[in-house]
Amino acid sequence: MSSDIKLDFLKELANIGTGHATTALSQMLGGRLFQLVVPDAQMLPFSEAAEYIGGQEQIVAGIFIVVSGDVGGYMAFLIPYDSAMVLVRLLTGDDSRELNELARSALQELGNIMITSYLNALSKMTGFLLAPSVPGVAVDMAGAVWESILAGAQVANEVTVIRTEFFADGESIEGNIIFLPDDDDFQKIARVLGLEEM
Amino acid sequence: MKEVFVNMGEISAFKQEGILTTVGLGSCIGVTLYDAVEKVGVMGHIFLPKSRPKDEDALPGKYADTGIPAMIEEALKLGAKKSRLKAKMAGGANLFPNLNTNSTSIGQQNIEAVAENLSKHGIAVVGKDVAGGHGRKMRFFVDTGVVTVTAIGKEAVEI
Repeated sequence: MSSDIKLDFLKELANIGTGHATTALSQMLGGRLFQLVVPDAQMLPFSEAAEYIGGQEQIVAGIFIVVSGDVGGYMAFLIPYDSAMVLVRLLTGDDSRELNELARSALQELGNIMITSYLNALSKMTGFLLAPSVPGVAVDMAGAVWESILAGAQVANEVTVIRTEFFADGESIEGNIIFLPDDDDFQKIARVLGLEEM
Repeated sequence: MKEVFVNMGEISAFKQEGILTTVGLGSCIGVTLYDAVEKVGVMGHIFLPKSRPKDEDALPGKYADTGIPAMIEEALKLGAKKSRLKAKMAGGANLFPNLNTNSTSIGQQNIEAVAENLSKHGIAVVGKDVAGGHGRKMRFFVDTGVVTVTAIGKEAVEI
């Protein structure tokens, strides 16, 4: 499979996964509608990976999950701080705008539900078991959160990044769902879906 | 004064003056080497503790075991004397502590690997702000040798 076809295929997976994740989020938030931006799938050289997220000093909430099972990888849900605070207010009714324990656990649960929905969608398509770990939550500089995720994934010379951005209608909520699959495991997914060997 | 941003795996240096900065250190380590006589300063941004065969073309600065020697070489090239080099380090945090319950975090592994490789070369660590659960920004003012570290919502602190 050429890398273009591979990336198109990953974008399609991302679209489906994120569609399910935002549907789950919408249900948690009483039916608010979300718009997905066309997913971005790239094979980034390590040297460009650091700047991929942008705004390294900007504060974000990051939820990180290790995926194991038939296909391994890493999933991250990154939300700008302001959006995270809007989500916390909608979920808990807490308007204090500080990141207390309640806010943290609300974000953790939110990330958990979204990432699990994403993985369930992939699981259904492929028949593979995709098991998420307990989510880790960090609120910090985007650069610090992102590089900790890349280090957790032990990224070598190239990293496949699949990212979908979404926005809410009427509320200023935006976020990114990122999937960093283990490279060898692509071939498994492709084979199951009847695509040629990569 | 010129300011250069040092990304993951990179090594940069100045002589006389200039600012070396790394933003968003999580589990990575920002390391500085300084020769105060020659005013030679080098900064590295170490990603993981040990180089791996499957990543043989990596920038030397990506791993502690290859990065520290590469930083020393860079300092010597600019006229520093190895016996005068002093190191400072920041980072090595564990932002997702609940994911590392059974093993040493990558941040902690990085701290140990950097310290060990510096000590192998007889270089003393004269300042550090490492570990914990938060990200950091590190700035190195080569004209004075001052290194500051900033965490979100906090003032910069000299180390």
